Amino acid sequence: MSDFQNALSIAASGMEAQAMRLRHVSENIANADTPGYHRKTTAFEAIVTEGTASGAVRLGDVKLDQRELTRILDPGHPLANEAGYYDGSNVDLVIEIADAREAQRSYEANLRMFDQVRQMSQGLLDLLRR
Amino acid sequence: MFERPQVMAIASALAEHAAARQSAISRNVANADTPGYRAVDIMDFAAAYRTEAEISLRQTRPGHIPPSATGLANAAVETAPSGHLSPNGNSVSLESEMVKAAETRKDHDLALAVYRKSLDILRASIGRR
Repeated sequence: MSDFQNALSIAASGMEAQAMRLRHVSENIANADTPGYHRKTTAFEAIVTEGTASGAVRLGDVKLDQRELTRILDPGHPLANEAGYYDGSNVDLVIEIADAREAQRSYEANLRMFDQVRQMSQGLLDLLRR
Repeated sequence: MFERPQVMAIASALAEHAAARQSAISRNVANADTPGYRAVDIMDFAAAYRTEAEISLRQTRPGHIPPSATGLANAAVETAPSGHLSPNGNSVSLESEMVKAAETRKDHDLALAVYRKSLDILRASIGRR
């Protein structure tokens, strides 16, 4: 039974991490046109409790993508310099959408594991109920 | 007379094994996007059950804790990367994890069905149903 509890909490941590990742993706997409915005990137990391990896996962620290910002020519823009350029964001929508798809796929896999563990432990409890 | 029949012992060992394997699979799926993570799996049931029978622990004093049916052999081991390591060093393939999950589900259902049936037979033998 403790294996099931363990598996449930691990699957739940996976879903939480994927949801957070999706949140960062939507922040990036929302700011795709914000001048000077650097896209946020995160990496997953294993949760270590008392020296041993519990198997659960969380999202690591947010880092800013240091790629060069796109330079946009728009002399009428309030932020434009003398040459008529201003710094846009370095968000690439294609990357963000691919990331969102991947997060969704992993989220669904975690959800499926959660459901299966729940059904298996339910089957075990049904033995007692007879 | 009231010792647990062998078939029920095997069924409960199989259920325990399936639970441990499911835990390992959940761990792999949760870490499907963790850089540097290597997929883990546990020994398959036939090998684990045999190993356990060979090196089982003996209770030499009344206070000793009896070994669980498959406790020793259910430790997770790293599986050899099957060729496709993703660029961030992760060796989890969601597809193969789904296949393993389906197998585990089948094993668990099988174990519970055998256990339930054995209980029914025991009940029938004492004249209840």
